Amino acid sequence: MKFSIYRYNPETGEKPYMQEYVLRDIDPGMMLLEALMRLKQDDETLSFRRSCREGVCGSDAMNVNGRNMLACITPLASLREPVVIRPLPGRPVIRDLVVDMSDFYRQYRAVKPYLIVNDPEPEVERLQTPEERERLDGLYECILCACCSTACPSFWWNPDRFLGPAALLQAWRFLADSRDQATDERLQALEGPYRMFRCHTIMNCVDVCPKGLNPTRAIGRIKHLMLKRSF
Amino acid sequence: MSRPAHGLYSWIVQRLSAIYLAVFILYVLEQWIFARATTYEQWKAWLASPVNNIGMGVFIVTLLLHAWIGARDILMDYVHNLGLRLTLFALLILVLLLSGVWALRSLVLVL
Repeated sequence: MKFSIYRYNPETGEKPYMQEYVLRDIDPGMMLLEALMRLKQDDETLSFRRSCREGVCGSDAMNVNGRNMLACITPLASLREPVVIRPLPGRPVIRDLVVDMSDFYRQYRAVKPYLIVNDPEPEVERLQTPEERERLDGLYECILCACCSTACPSFWWNPDRFLGPAALLQAWRFLADSRDQATDERLQALEGPYRMFRCHTIMNCVDVCPKGLNPTRAIGRIKHLMLKRSF
Repeated sequence: MSRPAHGLYSWIVQRLSAIYLAVFILYVLEQWIFARATTYEQWKAWLASPVNNIGMGVFIVTLLLHAWIGARDILMDYVHNLGLRLTLFALLILVLLLSGVWALRSLVLVL
């Protein structure tokens, strides 16, 4: 199977280039990550991130044949040859397929992705009804792989000021949580023309999310809540 | 640029104006297709009727607001040099305001 992989090593000062690879031993049902690891056995300078190899850690997001996806849960059989692999778009490249995720994590931290409760700590757990818990489905499953945010043109142009789909999905995850008590502060922090309203409903995020989540819908819910609260 | 209500305000104005623009365009198309007016004099009379005159006036103002928000969004996305962006904003406002004055003036003249 033929691969064309983006190579860049800032230490050599050489310009980025695409390197061709051919992998001969391919097992049925093999995932793309396994192929990369076999290629790395022959060329150990090839760099990429990976950890859990089952779509849970979100480390091995990369751009494959023009789409952002997780290498570990992408079957080789689903890919057209030559498989063109590039780092996530719009992020500074550290080396080969390894990108600098600082902006992405900074925007994630900016939405305060944790429960904010002003009441004194209760004796027992903070309970939720099954319905209240259900509202978090489709939100808490995010693994922060950055497939969505790095597929979003608004995030490409303003990664320092626009939160991006991943962070906005988490903003709604905590706004939707019955136990959270910081709704007004959270909404206030999302106001302004940049932080949330750079979203133009392009929906690349929904298209690429390897977990099948829907950040666009979450952003719509935030706007609705904001509108309701402002009257 | 960052008044507390700025993002939400622009967003809702953009959507409400879009609804009015769409409805009014359909209304004008309907008037055209079933050509109740075919000559210049008849069109003038059509535009001079209070409902059409006010409707068109609101249409022009709404169109300008909608165009401002949309074009402003594009400039905010793509033009990051502050000086260039402010220049383009100023040019845009000038063009929009002048077109607005010109269009509203002909609405008054037709009366």
